[in-house]
Amino acid sequence: MSNHASTSAISVRNLWQVFGPNPDKIVGSPDAALPRAELRAKTGNTAAVRDVSFDVAPGEVFVVMGLSGSGKSTLVRCLTRLIEPTAGSVIIDGEDILKANDAHLRDLRRTKFSMVFQNFGLLPHRKVIDNIAFALEINGVKKELRHERAREVIDLVGLQGFEQAFPEQLSGGMQQRVGLARALAVDPEVLFLDEPFSALDPLIRRDMQTEVIRLHKELGKTMVFITHDLDEALKLGDRIAIMRDGAVVQMGTAEELIANPADEYVADFTRDIPKSHVLTVRSIARPHSANEPTSDQQIEASTVIRDATATVLNSTGPVTVVENGTSLGVITATDILRVIGAGAHQ
Amino acid sequence: MSADQEVILPTKRTINRGWILGGILVAWIAAGRAMHGKFTYVLATYDDTRMSARVDVWAKMIRGHRDAPIFIYFFNPIRHFIDTFVSLIRSIISQPLEGSSIPVFGWLGVLALIGFIVYATSNLKTSLLAMALTFGCGAMGLWTDSMDTLALTIAAVVLSLAIGLPLGVWAGLSDRVLKLLTPILDLAQILPTLVYLAPLALVFMIGPPAATIATMVYCIPIAIRITAFGIRGVPTSPVEASTSMGTTTTQKLLKVQLPMASRTIVLGVNQTMLAAMSFAVIATLIGAPGLGKPVINALIVRDVGNGIVAGLAVVFLAIMLDRSTSAIVAKRDSFIPPSDVSVRNRRIGLAVGGVGTIVAMVLSRSVPFAAYFPEGASIAKPVAKVADTSVNWVVENMQILTTGLNHAITIGILNPMESLLTGSPWFVTGLAITGISFVLGGIRSAIVTATLLLAIVATGLWQDTMVTFTQTIVATLLTMGVGVVLGVWIGRSTRADQVLRPFLDAAQVLPAFVYLIPMLGFFGPSRFTGIATGIIYSIPIVVKIVGQGIREVPTNMTEAAISAGSTKWQLITKVQLPAAKNSLLLATNQGLIFVLAVVVIGGLVGSGGLGYLVILGGAKPELQGKGLVAGLAILLLGVMIDRIAQFAVRRNSAPKH
Repeated sequence: MSNHASTSAISVRNLWQVFGPNPDKIVGSPDAALPRAELRAKTGNTAAVRDVSFDVAPGEVFVVMGLSGSGKSTLVRCLTRLIEPTAGSVIIDGEDILKANDAHLRDLRRTKFSMVFQNFGLLPHRKVIDNIAFALEINGVKKELRHERAREVIDLVGLQGFEQAFPEQLSGGMQQRVGLARALAVDPEVLFLDEPFSALDPLIRRDMQTEVIRLHKELGKTMVFITHDLDEALKLGDRIAIMRDGAVVQMGTAEELIANPADEYVADFTRDIPKSHVLTVRSIARPHSANEPTSDQQIEASTVIRDATATVLNSTGPVTVVENGTSLGVITATDILRVIGAGAHQ
Repeated sequence: MSADQEVILPTKRTINRGWILGGILVAWIAAGRAMHGKFTYVLATYDDTRMSARVDVWAKMIRGHRDAPIFIYFFNPIRHFIDTFVSLIRSIISQPLEGSSIPVFGWLGVLALIGFIVYATSNLKTSLLAMALTFGCGAMGLWTDSMDTLALTIAAVVLSLAIGLPLGVWAGLSDRVLKLLTPILDLAQILPTLVYLAPLALVFMIGPPAATIATMVYCIPIAIRITAFGIRGVPTSPVEASTSMGTTTTQKLLKVQLPMASRTIVLGVNQTMLAAMSFAVIATLIGAPGLGKPVINALIVRDVGNGIVAGLAVVFLAIMLDRSTSAIVAKRDSFIPPSDVSVRNRRIGLAVGGVGTIVAMVLSRSVPFAAYFPEGASIAKPVAKVADTSVNWVVENMQILTTGLNHAITIGILNPMESLLTGSPWFVTGLAITGISFVLGGIRSAIVTATLLLAIVATGLWQDTMVTFTQTIVATLLTMGVGVVLGVWIGRSTRADQVLRPFLDAAQVLPAFVYLIPMLGFFGPSRFTGIATGIIYSIPIVVKIVGQGIREVPTNMTEAAISAGSTKWQLITKVQLPAAKNSLLLATNQGLIFVLAVVVIGGLVGSGGLGYLVILGGAKPELQGKGLVAGLAILLLGVMIDRIAQFAVRRNSAPKH
């Protein structure tokens, strides 16, 4: 666990958040194992986050996904202590932030991590540039310096020309760009995004997702991204944690979740996702059988099936799946069509 | 438990309730008839009760010990400070300085200053309106009185905000502080204005300081309430976002919460100012200088013409203050600043206006015509004459509406009800009221009601309380009759709303006193005059609440009823009114409280009851104790009415969720 903490950007262990009359007494007691409704009936407490542990590697985009009420928004607020967790530890950059006192916590918030909100949370009485420079302002940075920095991030998120506008003059998508810029202005190590695009129209949402991918490529920030939208999770997340009733049900890469859903809940979620868009050829590679013609083409094991389709269909024989130069097996057009066809039947 | 039953058997319960209420009424009437005139606690005006005699002794003791430490070290310094503050403002705009015949600024200077301040805080149109209205006060021949009222209002508002805004912010930030203040704020909302006066006059002595303090006591809760509401109304996400960026509590308050609540806070200033202004008029009863004097004089000698002249000055001043401050609220609708051109024009306007104002202020100190409001501009006499003639014409030619209405209501409703409430033995009436309270609001409501009724019995003023209660009920019934009709109308028709709303808004700005004058003209000194004033005064709030309730009935409900083939009448009576039931109850509650506040003022024009005793207590030293106890009885009555209504609202809304 300790070597996890040293290599992780964020390391969360046994995190609990219990609302109600006596939250401290729940964690560690047998009641903690009760289902949510029974716990509330018995003790009056609600466990919004129950025993959550995970690590996020530096530069990773870690997505927490779940339906409303699953505890994902509470979880992200516990990570920044906007809501005080009941028990557990949250180590960011080697330091347990749950142990920080008020002044130190403020310092951490001003420098180490920042957050983007679903409803943007912009200040309506301030211009775009002063919204973006707000975090620097409260940290006592001089006006010229903070405006200079604000202009840099304005360029970064594509808000040039809107510096002097007020939030209410901007569209939702533009407002969330301000929210992103504001979070990036302090050059944080970790970015928390709480359903940042849920309030936006589908088309704008897609643009903003692309924008986040671009920013992530350029800046390489560690991100914890909360969403209720599986498509968004698959598109952005290096790894995805699926939450239900406050607990993490399954955690892994998109491929792992789709190939091996841990339970019905996860399977339900992933049912409508075309497998060929997520699974790689590695997962369908099989040994070369003797009566097949020999393969003359190769394909990387990490290729998504959809992207491999053209190559395999155009090949006259089986295609060899390779990883680091060694063969994992072969696939044919039939194997690919089986995956795609299975998706269509469901 | 009871909530479950209500969910299962809603219809049955309603029927039962109606029968029970009818049964209580029949039993009340029967028992009242049988024992009519017995155990009714009738008391002559000059008779003391046990409690009032004791209070009288206390009051005399307080008056005889003005040199006690609590006066020397606590009350007197407060009084002195406020006296100095009020005198300072009066010396600038209304009262001559020593060795001079004018204040620091004569009328033209004050007028220009008002215009400039309003222009600087809102816009040119409002500024011109404010100047015209202020000039109108002078044209009523009441420049000095108007400025006295303005000075007292300003003093009370400044001090009230100095106390109310910080407390309001605190209550906005801290749940504990809000919880602590809520009972006081609630009580302040129920308390009729008249009740504040006597106790404060006793402690701070009659005069401008006591009047200012009474005004402040009335206004501070309003400032606290709206400020706290404003802070709490700030959307959570910007506040949370600023926390996530590491703001300190102070930074969050100054850079996020206060700027975002500024609009509501300005609205609070507006409300505080209007409350102060209307209270400053009534505070004349304990020595406030200004427009209250001519109003009350006119009421006492029944000089309707001059009363209307003074009333118009009050109206002008109230509208001036309201428009000036609400223009600031409107300006704050958006945080987006104006364009560069308008900024430049405005700068020029401010410079020109500033110079003009300074010139006017200098002139007003040196040139007679700018110093003394010109006699020739006064139109008080013709206005008084026209008012007198019109009122007389109405009284003579439209008897059905004046004397006829008065007699119809008095003989048809008021007398029988008063006979029932005051003529039945006290325990019969008390039991009946408790029973009704039980049916409407449940067992807790009944317990609270019974306790308060016993407290009223203990004051010894049972008879007078029941007189006031009767008038309150009658006025509220009539108010609800008219108010529901108008409320349904504006709730259903946008057009009606647009037509009526300006009148409703304007009517709410005016102090109750103003309505008393024409009513006195129409109906003479009688109980109905107080009732009619109460109705006029409380109709706007009732109409607004009912209208709001009707408008908030979900469209799918009305659409479903229309598609099922309801007629308009069926739609209103079977869908919209039942769905807006809570608004109706809330409107009744507000109507009762507003009516009570006015009905007691009706004591000035022959309504009798507790209000008369309070006013008499202020005027005659030997009745001071009784006046104070009557004030207490009004308070008890107000709390009882409010509690019953609140319990009824709560009970009614409980099964829904």
